[in-house]
Amino acid sequence: MAMITNRRRDVAVAMSLIAPFVVTFALVFLYPTVRMVLLSFTDAPLIGNGHWIGLENFKRLMSDRLFFTSLKNNGYFVLLTVVPTTALALAIALTINRLKGALQALVLALFFLPYILPVSVVTEIWMWMLDFQFGIIQPLFASLYGKSIPVFKNPYWVMPTVAAVTIWWTNGFNVLLFIAGLRNIPQDFYEAASLDGATRWQMFRRVTWPLLWPVTALILTLQLILQLKIFDQVYLMSKGGPFNSSYVLLLMVYREAFQLNHGGYASAIAVVLFVVIMVVSVLQFQLLRSRGQK
Amino acid sequence: MAVQLRNVRKSFGTVEVIHDVSMDIAAGEFAVFVGPSGCGKSTLLRTIAGLEDTSSGQISIEEQDVTWTEPAKRGVAMVFQSYALYPHLSVYENMAFSLRLRRASKREIEEKVLEAAAILRLEEQLHKKPSQLSGGQRQRVAIGRAIVRQPKVFLFDEPLSNLDAELRVQMRLELARLHKQIGATMIYVTHDQVEAMTLADKIFVLKGGIVQQSGRPLDLYRDPDNRFVAGFIGSPAMNFLEGTVTGREGDLTILEVDRTEMVARIDATPAPGTSVALGLRPEHIRVGETGLPVRMEMAEELGGLSFLHTRRPDMSEIVVEWRDGEHARMGETLHLACSPDKIMVFDTEGHRMR
Repeated sequence: MAMITNRRRDVAVAMSLIAPFVVTFALVFLYPTVRMVLLSFTDAPLIGNGHWIGLENFKRLMSDRLFFTSLKNNGYFVLLTVVPTTALALAIALTINRLKGALQALVLALFFLPYILPVSVVTEIWMWMLDFQFGIIQPLFASLYGKSIPVFKNPYWVMPTVAAVTIWWTNGFNVLLFIAGLRNIPQDFYEAASLDGATRWQMFRRVTWPLLWPVTALILTLQLILQLKIFDQVYLMSKGGPFNSSYVLLLMVYREAFQLNHGGYASAIAVVLFVVIMVVSVLQFQLLRSRGQK
Repeated sequence: MAVQLRNVRKSFGTVEVIHDVSMDIAAGEFAVFVGPSGCGKSTLLRTIAGLEDTSSGQISIEEQDVTWTEPAKRGVAMVFQSYALYPHLSVYENMAFSLRLRRASKREIEEKVLEAAAILRLEEQLHKKPSQLSGGQRQRVAIGRAIVRQPKVFLFDEPLSNLDAELRVQMRLELARLHKQIGATMIYVTHDQVEAMTLADKIFVLKGGIVQQSGRPLDLYRDPDNRFVAGFIGSPAMNFLEGTVTGREGDLTILEVDRTEMVARIDATPAPGTSVALGLRPEHIRVGETGLPVRMEMAEELGGLSFLHTRRPDMSEIVVEWRDGEHARMGETLHLACSPDKIMVFDTEGHRMR
């Protein structure tokens, strides 16, 4: 009898402990997600009900050129950021890891600093630095290309610029993850390798790289998810232009929902992005994990 | 000489941890550095390996000065306390690691790895990852990685301290067998004097970065140079009794401990009134009708023999080895005596008076 009461009490305690999370999760994630999916099958405006129109929104998407432009730009942005930022973070982490004591802490702090800035400050800084007429980086462009470049007005330059700013802004966090991973590799491994005659490169190739792989896979996956959701930087720096050359899916969602009041159509785009992120990130993580276990 | 150290010193910043160490280790010898933690034994091993630079002095391996040679070119292999097995590589690949680094042929790698695996009975484990092995097996893989390199000198840094007691005894025997089988020079660091006694051809007892004494295990046991070595080698440890010299009769020195007379046969002739410490090994103490009075406190029964823990009037402990059946009960008073030839005498600085 006592046992049963105890067990019941355990369950009650467990329930009450997870309840805050479950309720919050249901309220701010699950419910909106379900509503969004349902909304994507209607012609509803942003607020208020609409009619059920089945797959009409998705059919319309298939003939919307801006949708494919945005999808392509999202992919391009992922290419420009995910692997480069990971490689850069690894290189920086390896360098910082070889520094000692206070200097190491200082350099790490310097690399991490941009990460704590709000996005609007980041974009303001870079728009100022890259300003066509007064930007302090323009003389560099001028010396390399013979003329100043209006990076936010040039369809070839705009995405790489947004990508560079994004990497500058978020790279510190990846550096931190890599440093944590590097510190987890026991010094003994390097001493054993040096007794075995390993060169610096061999130590990296045969010890550091494989042992760091789980961290690398994690960073790649987190970055993939994060960069597919690109919105703020584009919105603040180029508004999707010029000629839609930096238009991305979330910008389209924003325009359809909040500027054109097309709640249903915007939801359909959001659903597509949601599915893309899920499928791609799960696939990537599985792929990376299996490579790690080989 | 396989390994020769001349006036080696090592400082970390302003702290000198190795003070002017010189030693000779002959080819094929099993040398053990033993001492309490912080005595510099691991640092000394790491300087021989080249993982630490010496501050001054010279290290030679097989008559070649290697003081400033890279670790990999010294011809040494090291077994780490943590084993340092690469978790992402199989046992085979762990053992093949050094050969792959120097791009040995596939055939040579296979030959050498299989040979080492056979010596260490690891043939069945070659395709497993280190995480799938038991502690003892991991230990053997770590040794296998060293064997594959066919080094001039094997270095072991407390290799058994991560194993449980039973496995430690077993691995100790295996190491002794391995040493016989491959006949290589080995240097072994441990804080455990039992390991040192059972494995070593030559023991170096270290304390405070200084070699206190070196020699064959039994020589150190029977004829220690100072109180530290006498107390460190042997289990249970030697008993030390503070006493005073009272006189001399022929070649016997008369001493007084706890108002009881004791006699030691030493050549030194300390003046009457000199304060000394008497060293008595537990197995040399006899229980009789007369002698040093102590109170029986408890007994550790090990079957064939027992260790009696007794207390002197000043409450310091004396441990007595007992082999003759029924021993005294708790609280009884015993009288302890020891043959004059077996009593060691140390001056107040800890130096042996012979």
